[in-house]
Amino acid sequence: MELSRILKKVLKPGRYTGGEYGQIIKDKTKMAARFAFCFPDSYEIGMSNLGMRILYHAINLMPDVYCERVFSPLPDMEAQMRENKLPLFALETLDPVKEFDFMGITLQYELCYTNVLSMLELAEIPLYARDRDESFPIIVGGGPCAYNAEPLADFFDVFSIGEGEEALPEMIRLYIDMKKSGSYSKEKFLRELSHIEGFYVPSLYEVSYNSDGTVKAYAPKYPDVPSVVRKRIIKDMDKAPFPDKFVMPYIETVHDRITEEVYRGCIRGCRFCQAGMIYRPIREKSPDVVNSQVKCIYENTGYDEVSLLSLSISDYTRLSELTEKLLTWTDGEKVNLSLPSLRADTFSKELMDRISSVRQSGLTFAPEAGTPRLRDAINKNVTEEEILRACSLAFGGGKTNVKLYFIMGLPTETYEDIDGISAMGSAVVNEFYKNPNRVKGRHPQVTLSCACFIPKPFTAFQWDAQDSLEALNEKQQYLRGKISDKRVKYNYHGVKSSRIEAALARGDRRLSAVLYEARKLGMEFDAWDEHFSYEKWEQAFKNAGIDMGFYANRAMGLDEVLPWDIIDIGVTKEFLKREYKKSRESLSTPNCREKCAGCGANRMGGVTPWCPKA
Amino acid sequence: MVPESIRIMFQKTGRLRYISHLDLCRTMQPAMIRARIPLWYTEGFNPHPKMVFAQPLPLFVTSKCEFLDIKIVEDVSCEEIKRRLREAFTDELYVTDVYKPTDKFTEIAYAEYEISGIAVTAQDVKGLLSGSIEVKKRTKSGAEKVIDIRPQVRSVTLRPDGVIECVLSASGSEYLNPDIFAKALAASVGIEEPDCDITRIKWYKADGNVFK
Ligand code: SF4
Repeated sequence: MELSRILKKVLKPGRYTGGEYGQIIKDKTKMAARFAFCFPDSYEIGMSNLGMRILYHAINLMPDVYCERVFSPLPDMEAQMRENKLPLFALETLDPVKEFDFMGITLQYELCYTNVLSMLELAEIPLYARDRDESFPIIVGGGPCAYNAEPLADFFDVFSIGEGEEALPEMIRLYIDMKKSGSYSKEKFLRELSHIEGFYVPSLYEVSYNSDGTVKAYAPKYPDVPSVVRKRIIKDMDKAPFPDKFVMPYIETVHDRITEEVYRGCIRGCRFCQAGMIYRPIREKSPDVVNSQVKCIYENTGYDEVSLLSLSISDYTRLSELTEKLLTWTDGEKVNLSLPSLRADTFSKELMDRISSVRQSGLTFAPEAGTPRLRDAINKNVTEEEILRACSLAFGGGKTNVKLYFIMGLPTETYEDIDGISAMGSAVVNEFYKNPNRVKGRHPQVTLSCACFIPKPFTAFQWDAQDSLEALNEKQQYLRGKISDKRVKYNYHGVKSSRIEAALARGDRRLSAVLYEARKLGMEFDAWDEHFSYEKWEQAFKNAGIDMGFYANRAMGLDEVLPWDIIDIGVTKEFLKREYKKSRESLSTPNCREKCAGCGANRMGGVTPWCPKA
Repeated sequence: MVPESIRIMFQKTGRLRYISHLDLCRTMQPAMIRARIPLWYTEGFNPHPKMVFAQPLPLFVTSKCEFLDIKIVEDVSCEEIKRRLREAFTDELYVTDVYKPTDKFTEIAYAEYEISGIAVTAQDVKGLLSGSIEVKKRTKSGAEKVIDIRPQVRSVTLRPDGVIECVLSASGSEYLNPDIFAKALAASVGIEEPDCDITRIKWYKADGNVFK
């Protein structure tokens, strides 16, 4: 076979063979529908994604549906596939994706959009939805970027908005039913699908624009098509389908460990954070459920590390109950517990002892901004004292490394706020020497890691302009110049890629033309530093005749129609406006535990510890 | 219980030919855990289970007969271990036998392989074996040098179905990678990049008896 010959010529052929332990095997000839779950990045990255694991499991719970996995082939493999005319295939059966009923593509970050198009092309599927007849799979998008996937609107048939565990099986069931009853046509199916909550069919809307280039309106083409699409959520997390088995990769992936979700949503409401809004309302799993799920996955995988996932683990209402339950058996089985996403203000000695009882890991905190004023403006309600106390605890507990995350270019930021970043670095260094229990004879290593602010849809800062490249570069150089202490390390994330992210994140459907040009230029793997080329992106925008600055660097009007207004995430635009206005006065908002801020997410329902009944 | 040595004999076939020895080793530990094998862990700062493979299997080569030694600290019958491991592996990593070993890995002298996909005649084989078999080899310093692998080739037989059976040296320093031999064989009949399948079949000790 062609494939076996090709596989001898590429790096890490194990990326393309499937056949892992835990992969689901079904008789493909007996299936009513086949679903290709595509992750538009490498196998190593995709296989570590919990969302993919969950949906692979949830769809395969349908006895007459077979869901298989597909990842982006790396450039060496892609070249071989093109040369040998081998179309994109799925790992379980090695069958071409174009023969499937659905191609579901998860959209985890904007910079994977070029990979989306290259996957379609490799699958020998026409890029534009309008060019595809009934013989091609239905192309469905999902994941966090689907909340505003307008730049991809021309290429997709439908977007699944919100959590897919229940929605995707419903979609597939509708398809099967329509096929069986003989009433199926792609057009009828998509129209019918638009009636189901959580499905956005971009072709069913007519978009008009104002003379200044802003969006005028999204008009449904037919009266039965909803004017706003509300996202889907799982109401009761204890009852959500969860993967009791993992597909066990042979080759090393980014996270070879158990990842277990503890809750969805976030009580905090940081004004730059999209995840904090789109996953609301907060829904927790109970400690017993988490514990038994972890144990079950441990027995089925043999992984000896557990990572508890959430946006901010210490906000889990029953964290000590949970860690107690877990520790009754994990220690004995030599299983390590790790808790990413710790918050400085709730970090305790007790918590640290529990995690370091098993393995030392470097500690990271995210003050995000350098001064109390700016932290209030972005609603990151953590004080310098809390951060220093948390670092001190870590130092007293034998750690010498801490990492602090910051965002540069936040709305209302001044140079005073940047001074604050370097001042905090020095303060943390001092905290080390003040601590009598520190590791003697060692110096601390404090890393200040700075990302660029990216305005994201569905945040209080969705209207804000991103700083220009020049302004961001200047700020970075300024901060670099301020840091001379060897014990403080400064690193920052690409300014240029952040600008592309901003443009795509707030893009409308006219950007489909840019992505098409990007594909023509052969662009892909833009999330990888070694493949990202700002110059090519500039070229793609230029070829499409579109100004990047209009999307990335323009302050949008509070009353402007936004391309993503068509989606209802629960949290209301009014709430975001209130938050925006408070940010200009550097006023913070209490978190959900202290007081409900009336964000509107409670309208979604669900079993939630904080939201008032709608 | 005093740690007891157990030998696992298994096949590595199908898609697993694309999985390197290193990756196989890495995934063995979770597999043992999910199979609930009571492994003995080394003591010290970073305890890890003791697992020793007889020899790495080169990438793209499949095998009917691989060996892995482990140590266990609870009384579990070999039959039971075999049953549990079969469940914890896919069919392409198939456990054929589990037993208490007597032969030592250091006794391995030769390995037998089957090579298919290279069209040769009995005459070709005879010709190849009649003189030295020179292949180019990269030394550690990166320089190329020509070596004769003929002394490491014990026997080569062409079966009526076209499959080549060969017995090659497999003891420590004398080990000959079957892929190198296959390439030399192909080169002798003018094939540059052979697209062949190689399978390890069994092992022998120096006295010619089958290693087990
Ligand atoms: S409705 Fe209130 S409690 Fe619920 S997420 Fe929104 S602000 Fe928080």
